[in-house]
Amino acid sequence: MTVAAQVKQTLAGLKGAQAALEAFASIEENPEAKFVLSRNADRLKQVIGDLHRRVGVLEYEEPQYKGF
Amino acid sequence: MPEWLNILIRSAGAFALTLFLVRLMGKRQTSRLTFFDLVTVIVIGVTAAAFSLNLVKNPAGGLIALAVWTLFPALIYVLAIKYKAVRDIVQGRETVLINHGKVLEDKLMEARMTPEDLLSQLRKKNVFNFADVEFAVLEPTGEVSVLLRKEKQPVTAKTLNMDVGRESAPQTVILDGIIMDEPLAAMGLNRKWLHTELEKAGVAPENVFIAQVDSTGQIYLDLFDDAIQVPRPKTKDLVLATLKKCQADCELYALGTQRPEAGEVYGRCAGTLSEVIDEIGPLLKS
Repeated sequence: MTVAAQVKQTLAGLKGAQAALEAFASIEENPEAKFVLSRNADRLKQVIGDLHRRVGVLEYEEPQYKGF
Repeated sequence: MPEWLNILIRSAGAFALTLFLVRLMGKRQTSRLTFFDLVTVIVIGVTAAAFSLNLVKNPAGGLIALAVWTLFPALIYVLAIKYKAVRDIVQGRETVLINHGKVLEDKLMEARMTPEDLLSQLRKKNVFNFADVEFAVLEPTGEVSVLLRKEKQPVTAKTLNMDVGRESAPQTVILDGIIMDEPLAAMGLNRKWLHTELEKAGVAPENVFIAQVDSTGQIYLDLFDDAIQVPRPKTKDLVLATLKKCQADCELYALGTQRPEAGEVYGRCAGTLSEVIDEIGPLLKS
């Protein structure tokens, strides 16, 4: 597996976790817990953005492995 | 009128009357009777019994006695709620038996308790060594309440300095196979969501005995058919595991890459992820 493919896998896992956190946050009623959940979902979004850019660079370097 | 009919009528009357009068006295827990309550209850019982067995010559006298012994306590309870002085007389005051780990002998004497009584009461509270007690009080109901010394108290999340998730009470959404719409609505969910979740668990709705939903929407089931194993919800654990895996991956990439700028990006991602795991871990642990 190339590095690009590995990073893409990590990215997919993170997206799943981020979506689950958002789902928890939307149902949670305790305002404090809701806040913690949604804040961390946002942080994960940043990380996802970072990794996404990284995947873009990797794909530029190794165009033969482009696409998921 | 034959004797037995007389007793039947009196008993039925006394039964109905006591039921009504006792209700008037209000809801006080019978397990927490004070001495005064005990006396009242016994007098009412004896009067009612004597009245129904025709031991009282004058029926009116029996009724009056019953009425007085129920109305006076009712009145005194009302007064006791209003005035602390009345409360102290009627319900008695608590007596401190052990203070700062020392047994107060004169207080023990005052409460007519022998040292054996004290030790036996402590044992009932699972305290076998009186030196473990910081503070003990004899409640007006005759029970001893015990505060253990700090180091002998059971550990809590706070003493361990642990961060635990803030969990609100779960809502019961199915009881005895019937879907409860009100709790569902209170959580902002609906029947459609419930059916989807049940389908995910592979369970027919009519087979569910109890279903509870926790604050993050995880559903816990008990079925009529006990032969079927219901999967426990794992979403929370899975999310936590995924986050940990991703964090480890990022650290691995940071070590593996030969470009410093990529290493910096991966390192930053790993750092953020570990912060997220620290913050959210207590919430996701079930």
